[in-house]
Amino acid sequence: MNEDLRKELLGDRAPDPGCDMCFEVLDQYAEALLRRDDVQRLFPHVIAHLAGCPACREDTEGLLAVLRREAFPDGPR
Amino acid sequence: MTLKVTLDDDSARWIAELRESGPTQTRALGRLHAMLLGVARAEAFRRRGSIPGDLAADLDDLCLQAANDAMAAILRKLDEFRGSSRFTTWAYKFAVLEVSGRLRRRAWNTRRVVLDEVSWGRFADSAPGTEQALEQRQLLAAVRNLVETTLTDRQRSVFLAAVAEEIPIDVIAERTGSSRGAVYKVLHDARRKLRESLVATGHLEAE
Repeated sequence: MNEDLRKELLGDRAPDPGCDMCFEVLDQYAEALLRRDDVQRLFPHVIAHLAGCPACREDTEGLLAVLRREAFPDGPR
Repeated sequence: MTLKVTLDDDSARWIAELRESGPTQTRALGRLHAMLLGVARAEAFRRRGSIPGDLAADLDDLCLQAANDAMAAILRKLDEFRGSSRFTTWAYKFAVLEVSGRLRRRAWNTRRVVLDEVSWGRFADSAPGTEQALEQRQLLAAVRNLVETTLTDRQRSVFLAAVAEEIPIDVIAERTGSSRGAVYKVLHDARRKLRESLVATGHLEAE
Protein backbone atom coordinates (compact mmCIF):
# COMPACT_ATOMS: atom_id res chain seq x y z
CA MET A 1 0.00 0.00 0.00
CA ASN A 2 1.53 3.29 -0.97
CA GLU A 3 1.98 6.03 1.60
CA ASP A 4 -0.88 8.20 0.26
CA LEU A 5 -3.39 5.35 0.48
CA ARG A 6 -2.12 4.40 3.92
CA LYS A 7 -2.67 7.98 5.08
CA GLU A 8 -6.15 7.97 3.60
CA LEU A 9 -6.92 4.75 5.44
CA LEU A 10 -5.27 5.48 8.77
CA GLY A 11 -4.58 9.21 8.68
CA ASP A 12 -1.28 10.90 9.40
CA ARG A 13 0.69 10.43 12.58
CA ALA A 14 1.37 14.15 12.73
CA PRO A 15 -1.09 16.22 14.76
CA ASP A 16 -4.17 17.02 12.68
CA PRO A 17 -5.94 20.31 13.46
CA GLY A 18 -9.19 19.33 11.69
CA CYS A 19 -11.22 20.99 8.95
CA ASP A 20 -11.99 24.26 10.73
CA MET A 21 -8.41 25.06 11.69
CA CYS A 22 -7.24 24.04 8.23
CA PHE A 23 -9.71 26.46 6.67
CA GLU A 24 -8.49 29.25 8.99
CA VAL A 25 -5.03 29.22 7.40
CA LEU A 26 -5.89 27.89 3.95
CA ASP A 27 -5.29 31.30 2.32
CA GLN A 28 -1.85 31.59 3.93
CA TYR A 29 -0.99 28.01 3.00
CA ALA A 30 -2.05 28.50 -0.65
CA GLU A 31 -0.04 31.70 -1.05
CA ALA A 32 3.00 30.11 0.61
CA LEU A 33 2.73 27.09 -1.68
CA LEU A 34 2.64 29.28 -4.79
CA ARG A 35 5.59 31.32 -3.48
CA ARG A 36 7.39 27.98 -3.13
CA ASP A 37 7.94 28.57 0.57
CA ASP A 38 8.85 25.56 2.68
CA VAL A 39 5.26 24.55 3.49
CA GLN A 40 6.39 21.26 5.03
CA ARG A 41 8.10 23.28 7.74
CA LEU A 42 5.61 26.15 7.92
CA PHE A 43 2.32 24.22 7.73
CA PRO A 44 2.96 20.61 8.84
CA HIS A 45 -0.46 20.35 10.47
CA VAL A 46 -2.26 21.52 7.33
CA ILE A 47 -0.35 19.00 5.27
CA ALA A 48 -1.25 16.26 7.77
CA HIS A 49 -4.89 17.23 7.58
CA LEU A 50 -5.01 17.42 3.79
CA ALA A 51 -3.50 13.93 3.56
CA GLY A 52 -6.51 12.50 5.38
CA CYS A 53 -9.34 14.81 4.28
CA PRO A 54 -10.33 14.60 0.59
CA ALA A 55 -12.93 17.39 0.96
CA CYS A 56 -10.38 19.90 2.27
CA ARG A 57 -7.91 18.69 -0.37
CA GLU A 58 -10.47 19.40 -3.07
CA ASP A 59 -11.18 22.86 -1.64
CA THR A 60 -7.45 23.60 -1.50
CA GLU A 61 -7.05 22.58 -5.14
CA GLY A 62 -9.92 24.92 -5.98
CA LEU A 63 -8.30 27.86 -4.20
CA LEU A 64 -4.95 27.15 -5.84
CA ALA A 65 -6.65 27.03 -9.25
CA VAL A 66 -8.19 30.46 -8.63
CA LEU A 67 -4.85 31.93 -7.62
CA ARG A 68 -3.03 30.37 -10.58
CA ARG A 69 -5.67 31.65 -12.97
CA GLU A 70 -5.31 35.10 -11.44
CA ALA A 71 -1.53 34.98 -11.84
CA PHE A 72 -1.63 33.43 -15.32
CA PRO A 73 -5.02 34.31 -16.83
CA ASP A 74 -4.12 32.85 -20.21
CA GLY A 75 -2.65 29.63 -18.81
CA PRO A 76 -4.19 26.16 -18.96
CA ARG A 77 -7.27 25.53 -16.76
CA MET B 1 -10.32 49.52 15.50
CA THR B 2 -6.68 49.84 14.48
CA LEU B 3 -4.98 46.87 12.83
CA LYS B 4 -1.48 46.30 14.15
CA VAL B 5 -0.26 44.62 10.98
CA THR B 6 0.60 46.34 7.74
CA LEU B 7 -1.76 45.42 4.96
CA ASP B 8 -0.72 45.54 1.33
CA ASP B 9 -2.26 48.50 -0.50
CA ASP B 10 -4.95 46.53 -2.29
CA SER B 11 -6.06 44.70 0.87
CA ALA B 12 -6.08 47.93 2.87
CA ARG B 13 -8.28 49.54 0.21
CA TRP B 14 -10.73 46.64 0.27
CA ILE B 15 -11.03 46.76 4.07
CA ALA B 16 -11.36 50.54 4.19
CA GLU B 17 -14.01 50.64 1.48
CA LEU B 18 -16.02 47.75 2.94
CA ARG B 19 -16.04 49.52 6.29
CA GLU B 20 -17.14 52.83 4.80
CA SER B 21 -20.77 53.75 4.51
CA GLY B 22 -22.62 55.17 1.56
CA PRO B 23 -21.78 54.83 -2.12
CA THR B 24 -18.15 53.78 -1.56
CA GLN B 25 -19.23 50.78 0.50
CA THR B 26 -22.03 49.97 -1.93
CA ARG B 27 -19.57 49.89 -4.82
CA ALA B 28 -17.10 47.77 -2.85
CA LEU B 29 -19.85 45.29 -1.92
CA GLY B 30 -20.85 45.07 -5.56
CA ARG B 31 -17.25 44.42 -6.63
CA LEU B 32 -16.80 41.82 -3.90
CA HIS B 33 -19.96 39.97 -4.88
CA ALA B 34 -19.00 39.99 -8.56
CA MET B 35 -15.56 38.63 -7.64
CA LEU B 36 -17.02 35.85 -5.49
CA LEU B 37 -19.52 34.90 -8.18
CA GLY B 38 -16.69 34.73 -10.70
CA VAL B 39 -14.71 32.43 -8.40
CA ALA B 40 -17.75 30.21 -7.81
CA ARG B 41 -18.42 29.92 -11.54
CA ALA B 42 -14.77 29.25 -12.35
CA GLU B 43 -14.60 26.50 -9.73
CA ALA B 44 -17.82 24.92 -11.04
CA PHE B 45 -16.36 25.07 -14.55
CA ARG B 46 -13.08 23.53 -13.39
CA ARG B 47 -14.99 20.60 -11.89
CA ARG B 48 -17.45 20.25 -14.78
CA GLY B 49 -16.25 16.68 -15.43
CA SER B 50 -17.55 15.47 -12.06
CA ILE B 51 -20.83 17.39 -12.10
CA PRO B 52 -23.94 15.30 -12.86
CA GLY B 53 -25.70 16.26 -16.09
CA ASP B 54 -28.98 17.08 -14.35
CA LEU B 55 -27.21 19.72 -12.26
CA ALA B 56 -26.13 21.80 -15.25
CA ALA B 57 -29.41 23.71 -15.43
CA ASP B 58 -29.17 24.72 -11.77
CA LEU B 59 -25.49 25.61 -11.83
CA ASP B 60 -25.95 29.36 -12.17
CA ASP B 61 -28.31 29.41 -9.22
CA LEU B 62 -25.98 27.22 -7.18
CA CYS B 63 -23.06 29.57 -7.89
CA LEU B 64 -25.16 32.60 -6.98
CA GLN B 65 -26.16 31.03 -3.66
CA ALA B 66 -22.53 30.15 -2.97
CA ALA B 67 -21.45 33.75 -3.70
CA ASN B 68 -24.22 35.13 -1.47
CA ASP B 69 -23.27 32.89 1.45
CA ALA B 70 -19.56 33.55 0.96
CA MET B 71 -20.18 37.28 1.00
CA ALA B 72 -22.25 37.02 4.19
CA ALA B 73 -19.48 35.01 5.87
CA ILE B 74 -16.81 37.47 4.77
CA LEU B 75 -18.71 40.48 6.10
CA ARG B 76 -19.37 38.64 9.35
CA LYS B 77 -15.68 37.84 9.76
CA LEU B 78 -14.19 41.03 8.36
CA ASP B 79 -12.71 42.02 11.73
CA GLU B 80 -10.88 38.67 11.85
CA PHE B 81 -8.90 39.46 8.69
CA ARG B 82 -5.36 40.19 9.85
CA GLY B 83 -3.58 40.56 6.56
CA SER B 84 -1.70 37.26 6.82
CA SER B 85 -2.60 36.80 3.16
CA ARG B 86 -3.97 39.16 0.55
CA PHE B 87 -7.59 40.12 1.18
CA THR B 88 -8.65 38.66 -2.15
CA THR B 89 -7.07 35.27 -1.35
CA TRP B 90 -8.79 35.30 2.03
CA ALA B 91 -12.10 36.12 0.32
CA TYR B 92 -11.66 33.54 -2.45
CA LYS B 93 -11.44 30.68 0.04
CA PHE B 94 -14.96 31.41 1.30
CA ALA B 95 -16.34 31.26 -2.24
CA VAL B 96 -14.46 28.05 -2.98
CA LEU B 97 -15.68 26.47 0.28
CA GLU B 98 -19.30 27.39 -0.43
CA VAL B 99 -19.41 26.28 -4.05
CA SER B 100 -17.31 23.19 -3.44
CA GLY B 101 -19.53 21.91 -0.63
CA ARG B 102 -22.66 22.60 -2.67
CA LEU B 103 -21.27 20.73 -5.68
CA ARG B 104 -20.35 17.73 -3.54
CA ARG B 105 -23.73 17.62 -1.80
CA ARG B 106 -25.63 17.99 -5.07
CA ALA B 107 -23.55 15.31 -6.74
CA TRP B 108 -24.49 12.93 -3.90
CA ASN B 109 -28.12 14.03 -3.72
CA THR B 110 -29.36 11.25 -5.90
CA ARG B 111 -27.08 8.56 -4.51
CA ARG B 112 -28.25 6.48 -1.63
CA VAL B 113 -25.78 6.45 1.22
CA VAL B 114 -25.55 2.89 2.47
CA LEU B 115 -23.10 2.71 5.31
CA ASP B 116 -23.10 -1.09 5.53
CA GLU B 117 -22.03 -1.82 1.96
CA VAL B 118 -18.32 -1.52 2.04
CA SER B 119 -15.86 -1.40 -0.79
CA TRP B 120 -12.22 -1.89 0.09
CA GLY B 121 -11.19 -2.39 -3.50
CA ARG B 122 -9.05 0.67 -3.96
CA PHE B 123 -6.92 -0.33 -0.97
CA ALA B 124 -6.75 -3.97 -1.97
CA ASP B 125 -5.59 -3.53 -5.56
CA SER B 126 -2.69 -1.16 -5.15
CA ALA B 127 0.28 -3.31 -4.13
CA PRO B 128 2.77 -3.87 -6.91
CA GLY B 129 4.85 -6.81 -5.58
CA THR B 130 4.00 -10.20 -4.09
CA GLU B 131 5.59 -9.54 -0.70
CA GLN B 132 4.01 -6.13 -0.49
CA ALA B 133 0.68 -7.58 -1.60
CA LEU B 134 0.78 -10.10 1.25
CA GLU B 135 1.73 -7.42 3.77
CA GLN B 136 -1.04 -5.23 2.44
CA ARG B 137 -3.65 -7.97 2.64
CA GLN B 138 -2.65 -8.67 6.24
CA LEU B 139 -2.84 -5.00 7.17
CA LEU B 140 -6.20 -4.59 5.47
CA ALA B 141 -7.59 -7.70 7.15
CA ALA B 142 -6.39 -6.39 10.50
CA VAL B 143 -7.95 -2.97 9.84
CA ARG B 144 -11.28 -4.52 8.82
CA ASN B 145 -11.31 -6.68 11.93
CA LEU B 146 -10.44 -3.75 14.19
CA VAL B 147 -13.13 -1.59 12.57
CA GLU B 148 -15.67 -4.17 13.76
CA THR B 149 -14.16 -4.85 17.17
CA THR B 150 -12.66 -1.62 18.49
CA LEU B 151 -14.61 1.32 17.06
CA THR B 152 -17.82 2.72 18.50
CA ASP B 153 -20.93 2.50 16.30
CA ARG B 154 -20.60 6.17 15.34
CA GLN B 155 -16.87 5.85 14.59
CA ARG B 156 -17.50 2.71 12.51
CA SER B 157 -20.28 4.35 10.48
CA VAL B 158 -18.24 7.46 9.75
CA PHE B 159 -15.04 5.53 9.00
CA LEU B 160 -16.74 3.13 6.58
CA ALA B 161 -18.65 5.92 4.88
CA ALA B 162 -15.70 8.31 4.53
CA VAL B 163 -12.82 5.91 3.92
CA ALA B 164 -14.27 2.77 2.38
CA GLU B 165 -17.22 4.28 0.51
CA GLU B 166 -15.43 7.60 -0.16
CA ILE B 167 -18.48 9.65 0.72
CA PRO B 168 -17.39 13.28 1.26
CA ILE B 169 -17.49 14.27 4.92
CA ASP B 170 -19.73 17.28 4.27
CA VAL B 171 -22.25 14.91 2.67
CA ILE B 172 -22.03 12.62 5.73
CA ALA B 173 -22.47 15.69 7.94
CA GLU B 174 -25.56 16.78 6.03
CA ARG B 175 -27.09 13.30 6.13
CA THR B 176 -26.44 12.88 9.84
CA GLY B 177 -27.36 16.40 10.90
CA SER B 178 -23.83 17.14 12.02
CA SER B 179 -21.07 19.56 10.98
CA ARG B 180 -18.11 18.88 8.75
CA GLY B 181 -15.69 19.58 11.60
CA ALA B 182 -17.54 17.26 13.99
CA VAL B 183 -17.63 14.42 11.45
CA TYR B 184 -13.93 14.83 10.75
CA LYS B 185 -13.19 14.69 14.49
CA VAL B 186 -15.02 11.34 14.70
CA LEU B 187 -13.04 10.08 11.70
CA HIS B 188 -9.78 11.35 13.19
CA ASP B 189 -10.45 9.61 16.52
CA ALA B 190 -11.37 6.38 14.70
CA ARG B 191 -8.13 6.41 12.73
CA ARG B 192 -6.07 7.10 15.85
CA LYS B 193 -7.75 4.21 17.64
CA LEU B 194 -7.07 1.92 14.67
CA ARG B 195 -3.40 2.97 14.50
CA GLU B 196 -2.96 2.35 18.23
CA SER B 197 -4.56 -1.09 17.91
CA LEU B 198 -2.44 -1.93 14.86
CA VAL B 199 0.69 -1.02 16.81
CA ALA B 200 -0.48 -3.16 19.74
CA THR B 201 -1.03 -6.15 17.43
CA GLY B 202 2.30 -5.67 15.66
CA HIS B 203 0.90 -4.60 12.29
CA LEU B 204 2.37 -1.10 12.54
CA GLU B 205 5.53 0.29 14.05
CA ALA B 206 5.10 2.36 17.18
CA GLU B 207 4.59 6.09 16.62
